[in-house]
Amino acid sequence: MRLVFAYIDPGAGSLIIQALIAAVVSVPFFFRNAIRSTIGRLRRKPAEGSGGASGSITPEDAGAKPTAAE
Amino acid sequence: MTDRPAAEREPGSYRDPSGFVFRRDGVLYRQVNAVFAGDWAAFESSGLHAALVREGVLVADRPVALELAPEPNAVAVIQPDEIGFISHPFEWSFSQLKDAALLTLRAQAMAGEHGMTLRDASAYNVQFVAGRPVLIDTLSFERARAGEPWKPYRQFCENFLAPLALMATRDGRLGQLLRSWIDGVPLDLASELLPRRTRLSAGLAAHIHLHARAQRRHSGDAVAEDAVAPRGVTMSDTRRLALLDHLRRTVEGLKLPAHGTEWADYADQTSYSAAGTTSKEALVRRLLDACFAAGGRRAWDLGANTGRYSAIAASAGFEVLALDGDWAAVERHYLALRAAGERRIMPLLIGLADPSPAIGWANTERASLIGRANADVVVALALVHHLAIGRNVPLPMFADLLARLAPTLVVEWVPKEDPMVQRLLSAREDIFPGYTVEGFREDFERRFEIVEEAPIDDSRRVLFRMRRRT
Repeated sequence: MRLVFAYIDPGAGSLIIQALIAAVVSVPFFFRNAIRSTIGRLRRKPAEGSGGASGSITPEDAGAKPTAAE
Repeated sequence: MTDRPAAEREPGSYRDPSGFVFRRDGVLYRQVNAVFAGDWAAFESSGLHAALVREGVLVADRPVALELAPEPNAVAVIQPDEIGFISHPFEWSFSQLKDAALLTLRAQAMAGEHGMTLRDASAYNVQFVAGRPVLIDTLSFERARAGEPWKPYRQFCENFLAPLALMATRDGRLGQLLRSWIDGVPLDLASELLPRRTRLSAGLAAHIHLHARAQRRHSGDAVAEDAVAPRGVTMSDTRRLALLDHLRRTVEGLKLPAHGTEWADYADQTSYSAAGTTSKEALVRRLLDACFAAGGRRAWDLGANTGRYSAIAASAGFEVLALDGDWAAVERHYLALRAAGERRIMPLLIGLADPSPAIGWANTERASLIGRANADVVVALALVHHLAIGRNVPLPMFADLLARLAPTLVVEWVPKEDPMVQRLLSAREDIFPGYTVEGFREDFERRFEIVEEAPIDDSRRVLFRMRRRT
């Protein structure tokens, strides 16, 4: 059963290095998203209602959501 | 039941146990196997399937009767839209491969928003439709599980990042490594071939150089019972998103150095006078109009360079494959088409002197160029001398090949006196006594019937429209 889900070989080394790289790049990723969402919040305040909250969410913003779990 | 046409499994569709692609009566279908039922249901119910198709990220499909399934254990059968021409990643220019890479990451991002994830990232899962890349493997998505690393990471690096990095930082021709490695460029090889300075680029240092080292170091590691996470490699959602974001930035940061090759400048320095060019364009248009009126819809422009005559074919109504063996010409052509939003022309890196071979399992997994011939009209302008004199291809063999590609032909004769031919002959002995317009006519008439002959003004070149003999 399990084989079906991993029908490509992810590679032991690839999994290990990807975890390390992800740990390192998640630091700037976190700060970039924090800065971006702060700027977004500041911008939205003066121009209330012009863009709408959902309309201004970018893929990066969406990625910022789970940062609380980190 | 009994009069249902036999199903034929597509030869490239054997790796994934979750389903496969087959044809019945020429129509393309995909069977979804019972083992994948849960993920398939989630793909539908999460709204991801509809969203991907709506955004043009995934090829559209419609569900069809389950009885069409050729093998037991089917839970669904779908009929995906047919792709006009299946191209291979080594036939793409740098920017085509880069756009395919970014599309793959976009599909992953959309999957993530729907609680799902990509389960593979092969470049062969991407095809070009109306000028844009789309994913064609509808079964590429599965439910995401908490803490899971991105399984196709290695595949993405080998299929996309490594060849792109080599093309951008070493040489544009290195995309051809994908012709030798159907599963992508091995990372140890990429690491060895990349310039030293790439070790200072965070993206390439991490995803290629360190990645290759990690592979070497852990190559003998026993994989734990959980094949997905040996040694319990887990990763938070944020970290996985950060990794994908970093991959995207790395891909976006790769750019080709801005310099042309001899070939890419060629369009601007032909041997024609202005009058000759105008005449040739008008004649090509007239001959192609006649081919279109005769029912032709798909044209292959051989030696298309940056696509001057591909554009004429497109404006005559054809869907055009613009083939050229020079990567810089194909790259320029693709960028120009993309900027113009042109959807009817697809440039591909294919030289006629050594066209794409069939590769992969049993030499059938990925078809050769000739195995994919589906043109109604072949256009071969300013090509005959490059093959006959530049590559010593006898004219009868040239005629034979063209006859295998399409039933109709628009071909340009370039005489020996032409400055372009003289340039080819300048450094070598003239061993081509049969290279005359009479010889050309005679050799081609064995295969074709000459329907129309049109001399180009202010030049000694001649255009021919021919029909294959049956």
